Amino acid sequence: MAEPSDPPPPSDAELPPPRVVSAARWNVSLVWLVPAVAIAIAASMLVRSVFLAGPRIEIEFKSAEGVEAGKTEVRYKEVVIGKVVGVALRDDRERVVVVVQLDQSAARFAVEDTTFWVVKPRIGTGGVSGLGTLLSGAYIGTDAGVSTRSRSEFVGLEAPPLVLRGEPGSIFVLRATDLGSLDVGSPVFYRRTQVGRLVGYTLDADRDELTLKIFIEAPYPKLVTLNSRFWNASGIDLTLNASGLSVSTQTLVSILAGGIAFEAPADVGKSPPAPQNTVFTLFNDRRTALAPPDGIAVPVRMSFDQTVRGLVPGAAIDLLGVEIGRVRSVTLDYDAQRKRFPVEVTGEIYPLRLGPVRSALLRDVHNAGDAVVLEKLVADGLRAQLRTGNLLTGQLYVALDFVPGRARLAATTEDGAVRLPTVPGTLSELQPQIAEIVQKVSKIPFDDIGRDLRSTLASASRAINQLSPEAQKALAEVQRTLQRTQATLESLERNVADPSAPVQRNLEETLLELQRTSRALRLLSDYLQQHPESLLRGKPADTAVPKR
Amino acid sequence: MVLGCESCGLVSPAVRVDDPRLVQECPRCGHVLVATKPHALQRTWAFVLAAAVLYIPANALPVMVTTQALQRDEHTLLGGIHELWIDGSWGLAIIVFIASIAVPVLKIGVLGLLAWTVRHKPHWRRLERARLYRLVETVGHWSMLDVYVVVLLAATVRFGSIASASPGPGLISFAAVVVLTMLATWSFDPRLIWRDAADGRAV
Repeated sequence: MAEPSDPPPPSDAELPPPRVVSAARWNVSLVWLVPAVAIAIAASMLVRSVFLAGPRIEIEFKSAEGVEAGKTEVRYKEVVIGKVVGVALRDDRERVVVVVQLDQSAARFAVEDTTFWVVKPRIGTGGVSGLGTLLSGAYIGTDAGVSTRSRSEFVGLEAPPLVLRGEPGSIFVLRATDLGSLDVGSPVFYRRTQVGRLVGYTLDADRDELTLKIFIEAPYPKLVTLNSRFWNASGIDLTLNASGLSVSTQTLVSILAGGIAFEAPADVGKSPPAPQNTVFTLFNDRRTALAPPDGIAVPVRMSFDQTVRGLVPGAAIDLLGVEIGRVRSVTLDYDAQRKRFPVEVTGEIYPLRLGPVRSALLRDVHNAGDAVVLEKLVADGLRAQLRTGNLLTGQLYVALDFVPGRARLAATTEDGAVRLPTVPGTLSELQPQIAEIVQKVSKIPFDDIGRDLRSTLASASRAINQLSPEAQKALAEVQRTLQRTQATLESLERNVADPSAPVQRNLEETLLELQRTSRALRLLSDYLQQHPESLLRGKPADTAVPKR
Repeated sequence: MVLGCESCGLVSPAVRVDDPRLVQECPRCGHVLVATKPHALQRTWAFVLAAAVLYIPANALPVMVTTQALQRDEHTLLGGIHELWIDGSWGLAIIVFIASIAVPVLKIGVLGLLAWTVRHKPHWRRLERARLYRLVETVGHWSMLDVYVVVLLAATVRFGSIASASPGPGLISFAAVVVLTMLATWSFDPRLIWRDAADGRAV
């Protein structure tokens, strides 16, 4: 039932008719703008994200550690240029293929020489890198290529490259025999300031040598000149040799991590900066690095008939105090004829260290070679001798010297090495001489001499005892003789020593005359000293007394 | 034939109007009186079509971009549901799926069906079609759930470089889809379903 206040439902006839008014001017077809705009928006969105997406590339890695599809980004200089959209195993299951969707703006990265690697936290000698990835997860780093040939399949690097393309600086090549404690990333120092780093090394099996590549950052490549010497500045270099103990280090970092240092020797003049990829030798320490270049060594052999305790490989070979070579090896030999053990010492002589003298010597032998020069010097009396370099440590070195009074000796060459004749060392030369003296002394028959002496003394005392009565007589005779001599002396005193004696007076006059003569002589010599010309010209005439 | 005013409830006898530029108006409150909404089908079709078109980028493009530390992540609708499912939050995954995938698809499909049957199969299952329309009208508002979540995240997760979230282009499309389906629902006139059922019985 309806409520009482409600009006009764009107019949159709009672209903008021609706007013008829003009409609708002609105064109219905405008509603179709909505789907049109929707299509336009959707199309633009899809086109932008699908058709304008950059190229899709595939990168091969050994392992997909840290790489996640849909999450891992591809970055260049920390700018995101793409994203990993898929990770799959290669068909042969040996490697992993990472599919990367590059951004449209990064289309230029899909070229031949672009390199990719996974950035992960790494702790190495060169420092800690990729710490940011601890929070963000790994990402794929990129080094943009410059090639114009596009490519879509790449092989990823297992470690970040040490030199990015376009990084200003230069690469130089070092040849070394030993890597020491160096590693990729080891710093390169110049005046104890880091100017670069070791970016790679390979062992050259053919040359049995290490080839190291170092990168010197701009603007320092110009510090590397053609004269620069590189040496391994790893750790602490503690050397004990004939010249004593020496300690040298670079920085604390290089003590821990190793490093390379370079410098130009002070005695050579300025030289132009070295071009890229110039090959240098990596020396083991600073001293050898800065030494004048050794050039080609002339091998020598020496044989010593004495102990060589204190002579170690690497000991110096001196010529008159100038180090011109090094001992290579010390070995024991056996001489069956003499039943001796001569010590065979091999060494190297660097003729370049002789400096300008070398060319003069070479001219002497009509440029027949350094070995011939050495042979000629040997023929002229050059001898090798072991000398003590350091009395405290007993280190020995080989001194080459011209020993006078030795027989001329033709030099011989064996196995391409010049054999240098040797003379005993200073101390060892003394030893046989002393031994000889001692031997001679021991040969003296002290026992026989003693026996003879004693019998002589005994017979002498016997003779004295027998002589005693005659001796007393003889003594009395002597007394008489003495008395007579005294009388003679007294008469002599009267005739000679008395002032009034004629002998005495004559003597006095003679002495006075002599005194006058000597005075005259002095005057003459004084005059001559002042007027030496008078010896030639005679005495000049006295100057006339001026008249009034 | 009478017309009921949707605004004040007054019922007036329909007047025959031949000029399309003239409309009838409630004599009491002035509200426009129509037997069915004018051009309802055309509008519905337009909005449904627009919604269907925008639904493609809404799913293909990321709806949310999150940045944690240096890692930038883009989430699409289906990707997000997939992640939730993988993580074991099945309930949440189902809720998000219903809100962001099932409901919009259902609405677009149902509205398309309703609009199509009005023209081509006017007598087919009218009662069920009327129920479907009521369902679509009721459920429509809940599709905005995703948009709310993303907008809330974008507003609250702002920790500078450590973590941040921002809406992606897909979200705008998605919001447009939701709004367009609501507009389509509103444009459709359920009276069209019953246009020829003069006897008052469901046929």
